[in-house]
Amino acid sequence: MRLLQTFHKLRYHYLMLLPGLVLGGMFVFYPIFAALFYALHDWSGFNSDLVFVGLGNFVALFHDPIFWDAFKRSMIFLLGTVPLQMGLSLVLAVLLNNQLLKLSSFFRTMVFLPVVTPVAVMGIVWTFLLSPFNGPINGILLDLGMISRPIDFLGKSENVMGSVILVYVWKWLGLTMIYWLAALQTVPDEVYDAARLDNCRGARLIRHVVLPIILPFALAILLISAVGALNVFPLIMSMTNGGPFFASEVMEIFIYRTAFATGDGSIPRLGYAAAAGVLFGGVVLALTIVQALASRASKGKVEGATT
Amino acid sequence: MVKATTRGLSRRSFVMGTTAGLAAAALGGAASAQSVPMVNKITSGSTFRWIDSGDQKAVFYNKLFPQFAKERDISVVYDALPWKEIAQVVPLGVRNGTAHDVFALPQNVNPADAVAQGWVQPYDDFIPNIAEWKAGFPDGAFLPGINEFGGKTYGLPFTSNKRYGTHLLFNRAYMEAAGYDPETTPLNWTDFRDAARKITEAGQGRYYGFIIGGSQLGRWAQTVRNMGRMAGASAGGDSVIEADIDFRTGDFVFDSDQYVAAIELLIAMQADGSMFPGIMSMNAPQARAFMPQGAAGMILQGPWNIPGWEGNHPDFDFGVASGPVPDEGPVGKLTIGQGAAAPNTMWLFSGSQNGAIAGEIFHYLGTVQGQTDWANIVGAGDPPIFAEAIQRADMSGRAKAVLNMFNDQIRVGPNPVVGNGDLAKVIGAFQAPEINFARTVQGLVAGELKGVASEMKALKDRYNSALDAAFAAAKADGAAVDRSDLVFSNWNPDVDFGASDYS
Repeated sequence: MRLLQTFHKLRYHYLMLLPGLVLGGMFVFYPIFAALFYALHDWSGFNSDLVFVGLGNFVALFHDPIFWDAFKRSMIFLLGTVPLQMGLSLVLAVLLNNQLLKLSSFFRTMVFLPVVTPVAVMGIVWTFLLSPFNGPINGILLDLGMISRPIDFLGKSENVMGSVILVYVWKWLGLTMIYWLAALQTVPDEVYDAARLDNCRGARLIRHVVLPIILPFALAILLISAVGALNVFPLIMSMTNGGPFFASEVMEIFIYRTAFATGDGSIPRLGYAAAAGVLFGGVVLALTIVQALASRASKGKVEGATT
Repeated sequence: MVKATTRGLSRRSFVMGTTAGLAAAALGGAASAQSVPMVNKITSGSTFRWIDSGDQKAVFYNKLFPQFAKERDISVVYDALPWKEIAQVVPLGVRNGTAHDVFALPQNVNPADAVAQGWVQPYDDFIPNIAEWKAGFPDGAFLPGINEFGGKTYGLPFTSNKRYGTHLLFNRAYMEAAGYDPETTPLNWTDFRDAARKITEAGQGRYYGFIIGGSQLGRWAQTVRNMGRMAGASAGGDSVIEADIDFRTGDFVFDSDQYVAAIELLIAMQADGSMFPGIMSMNAPQARAFMPQGAAGMILQGPWNIPGWEGNHPDFDFGVASGPVPDEGPVGKLTIGQGAAAPNTMWLFSGSQNGAIAGEIFHYLGTVQGQTDWANIVGAGDPPIFAEAIQRADMSGRAKAVLNMFNDQIRVGPNPVVGNGDLAKVIGAFQAPEINFARTVQGLVAGELKGVASEMKALKDRYNSALDAAFAAAKADGAAVDRSDLVFSNWNPDVDFGASDYS
């Protein structure tokens, strides 16, 4: 009864929520539950022959070495990008946070520019830049005498992951830098003033004063970056299509290929792909939960530090 | 309402379409679509929708449909979408009852399944004198289990399957400097490698001997399959229960000497440095685009390049010739599973109320006039199925030369589904190994896999296991099938396999 009264009292609030709930239901919640449903079935996606297989798809996935290879590559991609992205962006943020630095706004904009450029476009542009035939990167390396013959950055398995990792870091560096800048803005001016009075400047100021204050943000930034690094479908599709010979096939490419693009005339396995998606989604969800908890914890610490 | 609308034209479709449009314009009045005869009673004000994979087909339909719609006081919506999108749009449309009136089947859906699932309806009632009309098509165009089911006609087989996507296209200047003339004497395997090496040496880093879109996996499978078959490894090449299967034994030919030698040739050319750098991260359209730029001397590709290059790059002097032939012995024929090109076969949606409209277009495309109009605009890329239309059409010398070459090199082989319709269930159940034929070849050429013969033997074992599993699944589903259904002991790869040969 009390619940109904509360509901009636707040009916306009709930009414305002309705459009969001409907859209969220259609485009977020329904696909999640549909994926769970299909993951329990053997289904091509083309016909009505939906065969319930229980956990069969999951069991098959656990025995599929190509799935695990793709999973491993996603983890390699994550470990290859996140530390580099966070380290470089922190350095840039510290440098560009200095209001006295001339053109700091211009440099911030330049670093951020790739973030707002469509990923697929960037991917295609980078394939030209990295091309071993008249590609400018190889041209520069050749002119500098650093290499004697062009490097096939995207066509050799030993180079491809490193190449896409570097392009990814370049693409998203600006976003992580903005996170760091936001964190740096929380450092009170008085703290800088007090440090300067104590003759603490430059690297010492950063290391002993600024970093401890912004460290609580690091976990949140780390986890946001980690979740982002697991969503690399358009970049890898546009640059390598997962090749050569699976060398850059991360989890999302595996799921897409299994669900839609078998390319060999055989029927797609939407149920199997849905199971892989559910497993992968579980990993991302776990990271997101950790992120939420970390954000809450860091918020508490920052509030404690500044009060 | 009088309207003809085109939606979803992809960039590639646009480029190809523009190209073909330019070529068509260059051909003058002969390239314009004719008025479609009115053979049915049509309700004015109807909206009729058609979807296919576009490219040069889009140019034809964009000319045809506005006039067609105007004459009948109807609206026609034409959607040209890439195959990946057709694979999503068509099944979704069928499921929710909003599919286009006429559609191309997604490439992974076999016709028997589409009929069994109630996706499509027969169009016999919408073509006047359909028996007479069908008699105008060449033998093998209409086949039970392929486009005829239960004595009814379901699919419109209006373009020819007699083409292959790995014939030689080359830069004439580079080839002449290398000392070869493939248009007079087709290159054998040794010449092919030598020509690639000589062109590369002459290029000194500015251009290379051979290019292939290596990230597009199917290119590797097609190249090895066709080189192997021309060298004598007889096998089918279309569906999953034909491709790379020797119909005399019913077994895969992946580990045949010819397939192994074809892969070793590609590896050797890679080792020679004759292959364009960066092929493994390049798709087929990107690779094709390097040819008119003079960056590569040879490519093994399809006839669809001809109108594009002639229209967009009139100064590019290129030749067309046979794919590489064996060093010695006769040149093997390329086997196809049916006379009509499956991807272009059009189907009438079961929920369509516009069968009469579809019937008029189908009827027109099955006449000499319609076929000639088609050939005038679409050209060699999707050749018409009527041989007479090819002769009557106003095509370039290269296009006619390549189509004549196809007639000489390609034969219709057995189609197991015609022999036993239940095999459609095997196709539906077949799951190719994840490391499939195309990936294996790519892996071997890229150096990711070692030992061609052993890898191809392992590949054959994987495919045999997958095929056995598909047969088992089909049997469990009630199909009366056996692997002996893939054996046609009376098959001669050098001659067409006719309807009477199945008995």
